[in-house]
Amino acid sequence: MIAISEIGIYIPDTRVSNLELLEKFETDESFVREKIGVVQRARKQPNEKASDLCFKAFENLKEKTSFDHEEIECCIVITQNPDMSIPHTSAIVHGALGLSESCACFDISLGCSGYVYGLSIINAFMLANGMTKGLLFTADPYSDIIDENDKNTALIFGDAATVTLLDESKSGLVPLGFDFGSKGAGYKNLMKTDKLFMNGRAVFNFTAATVPVSINKVLNKLNLAESEINRWYLHQGSKYIVDTITARAGLEPDKVVFDMYEYGNTISSSIPILLSKDLDDFQAGDKIGLSGFGVGLSWASAIFEKNNLG
Amino acid sequence: MTNITQEQIMDVIRKANIVKDTDALESDKSLTDQGIDSLDFSSLLFNIEEVFGVEIPDEDIDELLTIDQIQSYVNAKINKN
Repeated sequence: MIAISEIGIYIPDTRVSNLELLEKFETDESFVREKIGVVQRARKQPNEKASDLCFKAFENLKEKTSFDHEEIECCIVITQNPDMSIPHTSAIVHGALGLSESCACFDISLGCSGYVYGLSIINAFMLANGMTKGLLFTADPYSDIIDENDKNTALIFGDAATVTLLDESKSGLVPLGFDFGSKGAGYKNLMKTDKLFMNGRAVFNFTAATVPVSINKVLNKLNLAESEINRWYLHQGSKYIVDTITARAGLEPDKVVFDMYEYGNTISSSIPILLSKDLDDFQAGDKIGLSGFGVGLSWASAIFEKNNLG
Repeated sequence: MTNITQEQIMDVIRKANIVKDTDALESDKSLTDQGIDSLDFSSLLFNIEEVFGVEIPDEDIDELLTIDQIQSYVNAKINKN
């Protein structure tokens, strides 16, 4: 059984304060804190690429757990801001980390739903190929594509990367079930041409209408009640959207994790960043819910359980 | 001919949970001037669309500043269908 064993994260030390932009965007501190939920945004160095962020997340992983690089059998990077269009960023990461030549590498092009999709993909890929140790990276440095004068996007996104170690851990998180979906007809509401464009109202409508349904769909599929889930990890799009999903999906607010005040919406890294903080606290049998949503328009929800194999 | 009442619009505002005291809102004054920000306004329109089964395109939003205007707009949309 393949399980989430450990998560390494990298959030750059440099911060850009939203409080210094209140006048520029004709807004106030309570809106920034209570509605967006982002006081400052993490910002990578201009010359840093997605692979550099992945490398630093990997260093954090190695501080938390030990394994031989030779043991890694697959290396997957979720990004839509790769180092370059050719080659895939996972190949660059593979080279930088000195992974084995028998290690499979590929990228997944998804945004904020990417981590949940990625967990299903790597789980299936490892099981299908008899692999026992794999790495799932997330790194989408949006600071390279944000228009700093666009109020719809300038106050939200931060840079970060994560790496999730999946193995045959006896005390990890194992997937119980997933729900996926897409509304491709709405892709123009969140896309990059020169810079990132977001139709905030359309993305809000999509999220409010779709994500609560997806969450309840995966619960129903597994014949689980909301009360049986210990914690919820929703993509940290904004505080407003997390609160909206919580209310519309009927989730117990105290169980919904929220923490993006000090670094912003980190796209596919938002869920694993939250998970990394709680990973050691789960007890055998605990169940957690995940849901990612965004670019595509795309969504994925899942329930995981802490295993208790001894 | 269907006519959505102002109270029905107020019920949607209550359901959207975007303002502490819905009853204190004045129907002929701009919602923005009464403390409803852009995110709350998007949420309100989403709930209006959902409850009354109407679609509100982005280009129509500028004419929906007050509760009275929203009520008239929704009634016109429903009776056109």
